[in-house]
Amino acid sequence: MRNWRHWKVAVTGINAHAENPGPGLAVARCLVEHREFRGSVLGLAYDALDAGLYDHDNCQSSYLIPYPSAGDEALLERIKVIHSLEGIDAVIPCLDSELQNFISLRSELADLGIQMLIPSRDQFNLRAKNHLVDLCSKIGVAVPRSKMLTDPGFFDRAAREGFEYPLVVKGVFYDAAIVYNAFEAKAAFSRLVGKWGYPCLVQEVVNGDELNLAGVGDGRGNLTGFVMMRKRAVTDKGKAWAGVTVVDEALHATASKLVRALAWRGPLEVEVIKGTDGKIYLIEINPRFPSWIYLSHAVDRNLPVAVLRMLAGEKDLQLTQHEPGTFFIRHARELIVNLKDFESVLVNGYCGGDAVDRSA
Amino acid sequence: MTDSLLAGALSQCSGDRLRQLAVSDTGFVFDPQTGQSFTVNATGRLVLDCLKRSDGLEEAAQCLAEDCDVPLELALSSVEAFLMQLGRYL
Amino acid sequence: MPENSSPKRPKLAWEPPFIQPHRVGEINKFGRHRPREARVASVFGVDVELLKKNYGSPLFVTSEERLRANVRRIKKAFAVRWGNTCHGWSYKTNYISAVCNILHQEGSLAEVVSAFEYEKARALGVPGEMIIFNGPNKGRAILERAVAEGAQIHLDHLDELNLVEAVAAAQGRKARVALRLNFDTGYSEPWSRFGFNLESGQARQAAKLAAASPHLQLCGLHSHLGTFILEPRAYGEQVKIMCKFMREIESSEDVQIDVIDIGGGLPSMNALQSIYLPPEQVVPSINEYAEVICGTLIEETRYRSHTNRGLPKLVFESGRAVVDDAQVLITSVVGTKRLPDGRAAAVLDAGTNLLFTAYWYNHKVETTGEARGALADTVLFGPLCMNIDVVRQSVQLPPLRAGDSLVVSPVGAYNNSQWMQFIEYRPNVVLVHEDGDVSVIRAAEDLSVMMAQDRLPEHLATPFAPVRGAGCNRFDAEAEKQAKTLRPFRICRG
Ligand SMILES: Cc1ncc(COP(=O)(O)O)c(C=O)c1O
Repeated sequence: MRNWRHWKVAVTGINAHAENPGPGLAVARCLVEHREFRGSVLGLAYDALDAGLYDHDNCQSSYLIPYPSAGDEALLERIKVIHSLEGIDAVIPCLDSELQNFISLRSELADLGIQMLIPSRDQFNLRAKNHLVDLCSKIGVAVPRSKMLTDPGFFDRAAREGFEYPLVVKGVFYDAAIVYNAFEAKAAFSRLVGKWGYPCLVQEVVNGDELNLAGVGDGRGNLTGFVMMRKRAVTDKGKAWAGVTVVDEALHATASKLVRALAWRGPLEVEVIKGTDGKIYLIEINPRFPSWIYLSHAVDRNLPVAVLRMLAGEKDLQLTQHEPGTFFIRHARELIVNLKDFESVLVNGYCGGDAVDRSA
Repeated sequence: MTDSLLAGALSQCSGDRLRQLAVSDTGFVFDPQTGQSFTVNATGRLVLDCLKRSDGLEEAAQCLAEDCDVPLELALSSVEAFLMQLGRYL
Repeated sequence: MPENSSPKRPKLAWEPPFIQPHRVGEINKFGRHRPREARVASVFGVDVELLKKNYGSPLFVTSEERLRANVRRIKKAFAVRWGNTCHGWSYKTNYISAVCNILHQEGSLAEVVSAFEYEKARALGVPGEMIIFNGPNKGRAILERAVAEGAQIHLDHLDELNLVEAVAAAQGRKARVALRLNFDTGYSEPWSRFGFNLESGQARQAAKLAAASPHLQLCGLHSHLGTFILEPRAYGEQVKIMCKFMREIESSEDVQIDVIDIGGGLPSMNALQSIYLPPEQVVPSINEYAEVICGTLIEETRYRSHTNRGLPKLVFESGRAVVDDAQVLITSVVGTKRLPDGRAAAVLDAGTNLLFTAYWYNHKVETTGEARGALADTVLFGPLCMNIDVVRQSVQLPPLRAGDSLVVSPVGAYNNSQWMQFIEYRPNVVLVHEDGDVSVIRAAEDLSVMMAQDRLPEHLATPFAPVRGAGCNRFDAEAEKQAKTLRPFRICRG
């Protein structure tokens, strides 16, 4: 096996919607800015407007891949083509909806020499929105009251079922809305279902501080590396806009408990609310790095690099002490795209700094 | 197709207007006036080329009929439909 | 097209010229990419073109081997975990006679929900005791027959309970009945319109009444959660709730429950339009369901070993999971077009008249001919004069031509029963036998079938009635003679 420092690492989720960026570009930045990493990052994108396709500083070259809904066979076929052109050493999947496809392909990709630090299907399912309550009640982690829904009629009888507005309505994979009455709730429900299918999750709102932990599970129950962050400002959609590293023992304990119970393998993000009562409520577990993961590089606990080291079999991840007090502020900026690159993405599904013909 | 509709489409797609379009061999089309991009198929590219040379509708159809070896009437009606489409987009 | 009028090859392959604008959010030519074009030359081992030649198009093709294998596999998953298990074939899912008899030969009971289905099961030779009679509308006449023949009647409401009791009393018999229950498992929306509601106490009341009646023998509990249930835990909760209710009524009333019927609802490998990921990713295996269902049943009936009550029989009424992938539809392209928005489109000879399930599934569509051209986003329309007659809104297919065959799958569940007769004849349905022979199991309709039920009153016997009265006869003798030979009635009598 080649030294991880020279790997070509494929990263997905390189969209950078100004309001709600995918984590892929942040993962790519963590890798390319790490002092020991000499390899390169290959972007895997789902749309010609995914910024990572044209961000050659972070993604040396990039390719379009099939939508997750096209299934694992389509994905495998496309990755094989890309692999034959590029030689991929590892993939870091960064989106929830695609992960099941990558899980199905784990052994096929391993046979091609492509490694991934990802959970098993069971682990993935157990932390899914519709199993979270069961998991948490088993291991004694508090969750806000929640219910899976397929019928919007619920919103009219919410009170009878013991739910009080405001409520949070969440899509199966992404997206959420805070709603204050049945009318808003139904509108949010049909929007989410229209986009992501059934079911939806409805959850009571808990007041308190939003804390997040990004970490990596080693698959044997240990939370190997982690960074904790408190959101200091959020967008209209509740996404982090500014945040700061913190050290919160209760959050760390909760996350460790979850990782142990799941024997989680791979990156994850644990989102909690620390209630005014000081109690930790689990909001969700995301099976991938968060989009604020660049903060881990800033505090010298580069978690994407930790993934590569773990895949390479290193035991000592050389993570420094976890220091509080490093801020981030997310800002948008325009990436300049020339027409030739845009055309190449449309016509060949490829964009790169070099001139190799990759029309497949 | 009514003549007035076609006339409208034709005036939209004047040779000058069409000559602005950047058409590449791959079928990628960019309209610098509106900033919109398109994909055009091989026969569409041929017709665009003809029209840009300010060939009339009939000449373009003739060209298409010859290159594809199809009856002129078929080519003519498809070129008309194509022009209507262009008229909507440009 | 005069392809042969000129010997030289055209410079360009003919395709109408078109231009398509790029739209935000859908600019990915690999987005709906399919792993190689899905192409099949044969279905269930038989050549598609041969089938089309012999039996016409469209054509439903059913596999006996697959059907038997499916029901055996599902039954085994339950039987290894809970010995006393039985499958009830839900007729409504597909009631072609041959399909029903294959399943009866495999030991399945008949689960029927109407007078027609009941009569059909009896006509096929299924004895009354092997029939589960479900459904919200059972008339007196058919109940009289069912009671006399010893069918197990699943009660849907109190009026029905009273009616069955009256019928049984009149016959001096004790009717075997089960209560259909509805309740909230917390996992799927309750189908509360069927049966007796548990939470409100209706079910308790019905159980009390049934237990007290000298003419009813309450022997079972039934519930059906819904269909395409993707959450095995929903069944676990269902079984738990039903067992708890069983224990309650057995201790308060003089009854003995022998049957727990969990209904159907297991999913098939079909792609629901409302689910984002493909079925391979979201449909749990049958063993996961069986594990939860039987595991809960074992847990919740453990107490019975300390009583003198035996363990109940587990009945499941899986429909779509048994038959869906045992049937495909062969259809032909009638014509192609390019839609104004640039998408390719084809008109097929089969639409939602035959594929009712196209309203909620994205069926798999495979081509059969040789490879031809790049895949493109294609809309497939059916033959109906209805705008909603769409077989697939968007599917990646190579350029199609009139006459091309397409294979649509899986289609075995609910199409041969919910298909509608609107402007078209329904086509042949064939069965590929286990030895590879092919035979028709439902013949294509023709005009005589369509007109067999029509009746013409005397004065409407001809389309152009001669107006009586001297001097105003608008028909000449020839026209009148023609009209007579056209009498529609003659055709169906013939
Ligand atoms: C009472 C009952 N049993 C069984 C079925 C079969 O359901 P499925 O095809 O989902 O297994 C149905 C379908 O509606 C039903 O109503």
